[in-house]
Amino acid sequence: MDILELIQANILTPVVLFFILGIVAARIKSDLKMPDAISEFLPIYLLAAIGLHGGLEMRNTGFSDMLIPMLVAIGLSLVFTLNHYQILRRLGKFNIFDSYALASTYGAVGAVTFSVGLSFLKNQGVESEGYLAAILAVLEPVSFILAIFLTNMAVSKQIQSKKQSLHEGTLDNNEIVEQSKTNLSKVLHESITGKAIVILLGGIVIGYLIGDEGFDSISIVFDELFTGAIAIFLLEMGIIAGQRLDDIKKVGLFLVAFSILLPTFNGIIGVLVATALGLSLGGAVMFGLLMASASFIAAPAVLRHAIPQAKPSLYITSALGITFPYNIIILLPIMFTISSMAHNLEAPINLFNYLGINSL
Amino acid sequence: MKLFDVKLLTVTCEILAQKNILEILNKHGITGYTLYEVDGNGSKGVRGQGFKNEKNIKIEIISTETRLKDIVEEITRSLFSDFAIIVYLSDVQVLRPEKFI
Repeated sequence: MDILELIQANILTPVVLFFILGIVAARIKSDLKMPDAISEFLPIYLLAAIGLHGGLEMRNTGFSDMLIPMLVAIGLSLVFTLNHYQILRRLGKFNIFDSYALASTYGAVGAVTFSVGLSFLKNQGVESEGYLAAILAVLEPVSFILAIFLTNMAVSKQIQSKKQSLHEGTLDNNEIVEQSKTNLSKVLHESITGKAIVILLGGIVIGYLIGDEGFDSISIVFDELFTGAIAIFLLEMGIIAGQRLDDIKKVGLFLVAFSILLPTFNGIIGVLVATALGLSLGGAVMFGLLMASASFIAAPAVLRHAIPQAKPSLYITSALGITFPYNIIILLPIMFTISSMAHNLEAPINLFNYLGINSL
Repeated sequence: MKLFDVKLLTVTCEILAQKNILEILNKHGITGYTLYEVDGNGSKGVRGQGFKNEKNIKIEIISTETRLKDIVEEITRSLFSDFAIIVYLSDVQVLRPEKFI
């Protein structure tokens, strides 16, 4: 199918239409608003459903295929985060804190984007590998941990050099190193025990344990309601994104371009790498989406504590206001088309060699 | 009825600074406080809409002036530069002073 046709068809899905409705409602200053409890509940529900499905499929397919894609995903996520940092710091001239915060926001994964991707594939009648839910869970903290570690390093180096210039000889950086270590282990603990990861991994385990038979009794909630729940959640996301549209002017042209070009680049690399690793058509799209998506629910909670100096308005606005709509409306169909083309190629091994030389 | 003069410290801040504030209170031996979620408008724009993480909270602590001033000093030093925070002290009168020391 033609890419434009696919984008057009994608816009006319309920999920995307509800998102647009939310933006419109916010722009015309309607008082339309989700009750707080529901907007807190829906991400938990979505993650539980993703986890359950992942667990069910892993029971059927086993874990053995999972390891290599997972390691590759972690590797790519780390490389992308470093790459983002260099681009933001050198080309964008952002300060070190904003650069690391933005780099990790874009290196991290978006669970909401992931659920929209699943419903997109459902629409297309395509399946994806269940273990991608496990990759989602593992990827969630990876890029934050890297960015926070590097920020701490940079800060302690700065303090060290300042101290050195003030009074030579009397260095006491043990304390600083110790402090940044506790900071990091706290963040590590917080992100691993965070609600997103607990519910996602818990869902995977439960799905794995109950199997298809056990799932029958709850499938009406976790299967049939799934797309509808995403539609409602995206209405809320649309409202929040709509309220932030004015802020986009403040983030500057560079960041706007960054929030569109980088996900495109990361996503396409993701699709090609996943295809080379032997993931299915749908699996490669989801893998690409993991690489392309930016985190906007977990990111502020983690970064506000770990890198408080970074401006949250930058990373939330760009991730939610620009990258998220772009990803679900335009990039998904593009990646789907690329994945279809890549899966029709005769020789995936050549592709693997090609990528091996150029990007890994 | 005999009333005793003590101080009320009110902290209004973004919800993500809550943990830091409570840590500081704990460090200074404060065991009682009241905390609630609030909306508002300020130099960082209208707050309290959208994500849970972007809400504001208000914390009230009643104690002696010296102890509260130490707390204000620490909040000023460690949190003002990075978080949206408003802090103020006011005079209040209580019935049972031993509860607030």
